[in-house]
Amino acid sequence: MLLILILLPLLVSAGGWYLGKRSPRGYYDLALLCTILEFILSVSLCFFRAGDVALPGILDLGIHLTLDGFRQVYIVVISFMWMMTMLLTRDYMGIRHGTHTHTQRYFFFTLLTLSATMGVFLSADLFTTLVFFEVMSFASFPWVIQEETDGAIRAANTYLAIAVIGGLAALMGLFLLYHELGTLEIGLLYERAAACGKKNLLYTAGGCILLGFGAKAGMFPVHIWLPKAHPVAPAPASALLSGVLTKSGIFGVLVLSCQLFRDDPVWGMLILSLGTVTMFLGAVLALFSNNLKKTLACSSMSQIGFILTGIGTMGLLGRENALAGAGVLLHMVNHSLFKLVLFMCAGVVFMNTEALELNRIRGFGRKKPLLHACFLLGAAGIGGIPGLSGYISKTLLHEGIVEAAAEYGLILHAAEWIFLLSGGLTLAYMTKLYVCLFIEKGAFEEKKRYMELPSCVALLCSALLIPVCGLFPHAVMDRIAAAGSGFLAAEPLKEAVSYFSLENLKSALISVLAGAFVYLVIVRRWMYQKNRYLDRWPAEMDLEDRIYRPVLLTVLPEVFGRIAALFGENRVTAKLAYGLYRTGEILGHALSDMTDGLVWVLQRTVFRPDKRNYEERSSHTYVYQIGMSIDRYREKHGRSGPEELSFARLFERIRMSLEHATHNLTDTMSFALLMLCIAICAVMVYIFLIRN
Amino acid sequence: MSAKWLIAAILFPVAAGALVPVFGIKKRMTVRLYTGAATVLTSVFVWVLIFAASEEGCTLIEFTHNFTFLLRFDGLGRFFAVIIATLWPLTVLYGFEYLKDDPRQHVFFAFFLLSYGATLGVAMSGDLFTLYCFYELLTLSTAPLVMHTDTDAAVRAARTYFTVSIGGAAVALLPVLYLTTGAAGRYSETVTRIFYVLGFFGFGVKAAVFPLHRWLPKASVAPTPVTALLHAVAVVKSGVFAIIRLTWWCFGTAPLAGTFAQYIPMVFVLLTIFYGSAKAVRETHWKRRLAYSTVSNLSYILFGVMLMTEQGLRAGLLHMLFHAEIKILAFFAAGAVLHVTGREYIQDLDGLGKRMPVTCACFTIAALALTGIPPFCGFISKWNLLSAGAEAGTPAGYIGAGMIILSALLTAVYMFTTVRRMYFPGAREDDTALQKVHEAGALMWVPMVLLAAACLLTGLFSGRILELIGKAVSGLVPWM
Repeated sequence: MLLILILLPLLVSAGGWYLGKRSPRGYYDLALLCTILEFILSVSLCFFRAGDVALPGILDLGIHLTLDGFRQVYIVVISFMWMMTMLLTRDYMGIRHGTHTHTQRYFFFTLLTLSATMGVFLSADLFTTLVFFEVMSFASFPWVIQEETDGAIRAANTYLAIAVIGGLAALMGLFLLYHELGTLEIGLLYERAAACGKKNLLYTAGGCILLGFGAKAGMFPVHIWLPKAHPVAPAPASALLSGVLTKSGIFGVLVLSCQLFRDDPVWGMLILSLGTVTMFLGAVLALFSNNLKKTLACSSMSQIGFILTGIGTMGLLGRENALAGAGVLLHMVNHSLFKLVLFMCAGVVFMNTEALELNRIRGFGRKKPLLHACFLLGAAGIGGIPGLSGYISKTLLHEGIVEAAAEYGLILHAAEWIFLLSGGLTLAYMTKLYVCLFIEKGAFEEKKRYMELPSCVALLCSALLIPVCGLFPHAVMDRIAAAGSGFLAAEPLKEAVSYFSLENLKSALISVLAGAFVYLVIVRRWMYQKNRYLDRWPAEMDLEDRIYRPVLLTVLPEVFGRIAALFGENRVTAKLAYGLYRTGEILGHALSDMTDGLVWVLQRTVFRPDKRNYEERSSHTYVYQIGMSIDRYREKHGRSGPEELSFARLFERIRMSLEHATHNLTDTMSFALLMLCIAICAVMVYIFLIRN
Repeated sequence: MSAKWLIAAILFPVAAGALVPVFGIKKRMTVRLYTGAATVLTSVFVWVLIFAASEEGCTLIEFTHNFTFLLRFDGLGRFFAVIIATLWPLTVLYGFEYLKDDPRQHVFFAFFLLSYGATLGVAMSGDLFTLYCFYELLTLSTAPLVMHTDTDAAVRAARTYFTVSIGGAAVALLPVLYLTTGAAGRYSETVTRIFYVLGFFGFGVKAAVFPLHRWLPKASVAPTPVTALLHAVAVVKSGVFAIIRLTWWCFGTAPLAGTFAQYIPMVFVLLTIFYGSAKAVRETHWKRRLAYSTVSNLSYILFGVMLMTEQGLRAGLLHMLFHAEIKILAFFAAGAVLHVTGREYIQDLDGLGKRMPVTCACFTIAALALTGIPPFCGFISKWNLLSAGAEAGTPAGYIGAGMIILSALLTAVYMFTTVRRMYFPGAREDDTALQKVHEAGALMWVPMVLLAAACLLTGLFSGRILELIGKAVSGLVPWM
């Protein structure tokens, strides 16, 4: 049953390839049908028990899939998002109007990514996770490069580099872990790790794996691909990159934090600090950005930071981590949902205006109530306004931090304030986008239709979930949280949390106030001058351009170059290197050189070639004499022919060719004999010398 | 089946190759029919032998009581024969298309058949002296293939190939004599170890170990069937095969492990892993880049072997199989592009993905597999090598694991920069020059597609393959 979830999109993507060449429309319909089927299938799994799937021997270590509450929640989220974005794709890629390019490629890789993502979230051991994770990384690469602009190619290069490095880091960590624990079954990791004495090795392995999965999640300091790749991908793909693919990274981090390093305060603190930095940095970057999708991408990074902070507090809290655990899962689901809505809105904006820069899309949303409502729900949701689902998960995360602060004091208080401030920043940049798109006046004439019916359905369905979850937290959210508690190793919530208590509303209010302050002071005063949004993106502080690219492309090649120069590519060291190489070569074939040398010496001394004239010499050989006598005999009997028929010449010619052949033969033979002699000498040497 | 049939399997392709000038076969169709039939017959016969031949040895000539010419088809030999017997017909098929317009193709295929026999001899030989003879025969029969194009570069490459190979073989002769004369028992272990190191570097010439690797990139001027099959599989892996025999069957790992006889070769192997990849990144000639990649990958195998643990040997053999199919596929793709467009530098490949979709897709699969992206086969062998390195527990094991990871990173760089150019050329795309480019002929892309499928399937079902390898090397019968 679980295998079908993975195989269905895989088979459809492969089967549709040839269809896609002739009829992109047909491929689209097929892909849409496939995602709908996938959604129905994953929802129906809530009601049937699906057993584990184990395929031993496949890929050596075997593939193992399982389904529990957490995975159930997430496969529904995934298939829902794929279905919704697929609905929008019809409009966005211009399937209807035939303005599409490379749709075949796009659908093929979208379905392939769906298959791999399902695999990641269904995996029961880390090996399976890694396999599908890598497939997912590479299958999603064409999304980033889809538009084939220079920016897209650059972003795609970064994406690929991070995917490869992350994948290798994870591979390194996993084989260390496998070597140490003897298993990669997620369910067994905790017990085995507890029994394992080599804590440092486990931390090394964990660090490598964290680098791999954290890179995909967009965790600081390996977040660099995220603000670049999400904006250049087509909007439906951005929604998936942001909403799902980052979560697959989180999935890996969860396995590490909740299974391998469960209740480990050191690890918890590491994740917490990384999470806090990611959360704050992402929010600040989002505020500075001047581009709709870039803001959303940075916002994703920031929200991932919120989730990581939650995971960190879980580790710090140990057994009493019910609130934080629920918060983590709910914020993951919420963020997927928000980003789905927001990126789809961005997609609608882009397909009408062909622009994402704020000054160029200003006022686009005016008099478009549906788009307006959906964007507002998404923005307010992510900002944590009470009544919407984002408020619930943020409240839980906040409660978790407050709980931990009681135990750990100062650091956690700082984290709490950063948390609230980041919440405020979230509100500020969302307000910035909202005001720009829907309040300010722009140069857009009224169009009759700005999107097709399927897109409307997709937007509306996704957006309406936000208030539904937010208004009935106990009916919806608590159940989701309860489903995930097993995987997260979190206690189930003991009593219903009073989300709308005064205490919780107060922290939301702090965030709102901070947001309002930031918006009014920083955005309106500093970023908005002379009626334009200024580009305050700190381009010169780009981590990739400042550190990673220089290190990878300049420092390392420089080091490698120096090493390579040692082998004779640098003029100064060329002579030395050539000498070294010759020494190696001579060592390698000393014997053959020696025989060559011997032959040479012999040629110069004993077998010196005769310098005398050929004609002169030839007249003295036996054959020549015999030939001459025959000639003379013929002459005597008066049967002499012309000069060319002289037997002496004929014999001489035969002798010449024979000599030539034997000369070559003796050369070869002598060479072989010499080789043999030297070998025998060598044998003699060790028999007589070494033996004693 | 009696072991006597092994002689037939070796002699048949040799005789078939030698008879080409006797029959005076020159027409293209006759050459194709003759070579194709001979190759397929040999391969079928070898496959029959793989399943049916007895494990018994078969002594052909007995010079003295321990100086014999002996054939024996054991598990390791069968494993090597599987690789050869499967890839040879595919390459011949590819070669038909590649050398379509070559007036001297009968010469080419004659030597190609000859080297088939020599490689089978390496696989089937039952003692070190026999192995050595076939090893030399292989050098002799493949050198004309290297200089087939008869250009200056080809002749130079063949000269280098000759000197280095013969020199290496001369060094390798020392341990052969040391062991076959029965002198080994009489000396201290240090002497034995010195001879082992000599043997490693002697046979290491063909396995392209670092200071002795130069012939391999140079030899990439040869026609692609040669670079693909001989310089990525048959010849180079004969070198590796000989080292495996020397290490595990002749000297045995017990006196070597943990001494300088393990460490000195290991240092060079690790250096080669890194050096090959680094040079591949800097190389812009496509086939030379792949050749450097071969240099690096051969040392992956040797790394597994030199760990001197059984797990390491198994992982090395697995990589031997997987690297064979991956690299031959990559070379086929490069050769197809060279054949159709005449382009041989990476920077000329912009936008080729649209024009030659099958070739480029196959190369992409090779790139994924070589980098070690699951579910393709390269991932499995890399995983096994890494775990073997960690399992060995020695510093060399861990350093080697790190080297492999680093080299995998470089592999990604040199393979994917190529792939990206094919599919996403960016703004520099020059479509006019590509108008006339079309997909390579069916004789070329059918072998490629088969190999690409093999890259996926052998990866998926690698559990079974590892089992078979384990069976092949377990309970090995020492030669000496």
